[in-house]
Amino acid sequence: MNDSQSSDGSASAREATETACWSCDGTVDVRALFCHTCGKIQPCRPTDHFTRLGLKPQFELDPDELERQYIGFQRRFHPDRFATAPATEKTHSLQHATALNEAYAVLGSSQSRALHLLEVHNPELKNDASTTIDDPELLILVMEMREALASAETAGQIAEVIDAATEAIEECQSGLTKAFAADELDLAQSLAARLSYLDKISDEARLKARSHLN
Amino acid sequence: MAYNERVVDHYENPRNVGSLDKSDEGVGTGLVGAPACGDVMKLQIQVSPDGIIEDAKFKTFGCGSAIASSSLVTEWVKGKTLDEAIEIKNTHIAEHLALPPVKIHCSVLAEDAIKAAVADYRAKHVGVSGDANAEHAETVDAAE
Repeated sequence: MNDSQSSDGSASAREATETACWSCDGTVDVRALFCHTCGKIQPCRPTDHFTRLGLKPQFELDPDELERQYIGFQRRFHPDRFATAPATEKTHSLQHATALNEAYAVLGSSQSRALHLLEVHNPELKNDASTTIDDPELLILVMEMREALASAETAGQIAEVIDAATEAIEECQSGLTKAFAADELDLAQSLAARLSYLDKISDEARLKARSHLN
Repeated sequence: MAYNERVVDHYENPRNVGSLDKSDEGVGTGLVGAPACGDVMKLQIQVSPDGIIEDAKFKTFGCGSAIASSSLVTEWVKGKTLDEAIEIKNTHIAEHLALPPVKIHCSVLAEDAIKAAVADYRAKHVGVSGDANAEHAETVDAAE
């Protein structure tokens, strides 16, 4: 199942599809993880996090499937398996393991998964992450929630902020599922920005709730 | 990472924290945010009839650099005309506070906030009937 890696990576379609194995010089598919002639581990090549974990590039994700795919790949690439291998293979395994960890972390959070999926659809988008936004409805909502959190004094008041944030986050997530499914990327982008804000408020509210307990 | 003492000073003793009445005709409100860090910044200016910024307030939920940048800008804009205020560049803010490269976007946010506040004030005064306002709107148009 783990070799289902070779999904329809349309981005790589234009690039060379075959290369030479670093070890035996035999022809090997650029997406291959191990050489099919000599069986040696291949270098870790740049790809998106979905492809890396053999998952469909979509927003909806079953956490169990993410877990299974991650463990499945990690089992084959973990540096422990290459402890006695030559240096080149050790390096490749370490790079694969690192890339798998990153993919797992990015896809595990709905906010970073949404941003990454936007990047997959539009690679230019990457540099826009810190752009100032001017979306009055969202900013007023954020300001109000922030003020409510800042003035919350009792555990109950903090819990109210957490509940409001959680509800807004869930709404955002189902909106993102629909937006990506309908290929409405502008909508998905504004929802992803919204989710970033809500996640942050939720984190800080939980932090305040914890310090309130102590 | 060690922050410049000016950042720490503005962060620990922020100037001009608070709100102005945003429905007041003489008040311009700028509300901006940077989704990458989840910061939100509100900057308000109180403008006199002859176009001088008499007072400025801010409220920022974000990191120390974002708070320091907005605090600094409220100090800088007081006494300035609207045109002078929008000349404030993020590079001036970043330089004054010696912000590290990863925090440059905080100064960009402060620049965008003052521009948004001025734009909001001007929008309130464009197309409003009444001689004083009409005259003001004309000078604004001429300036742009």
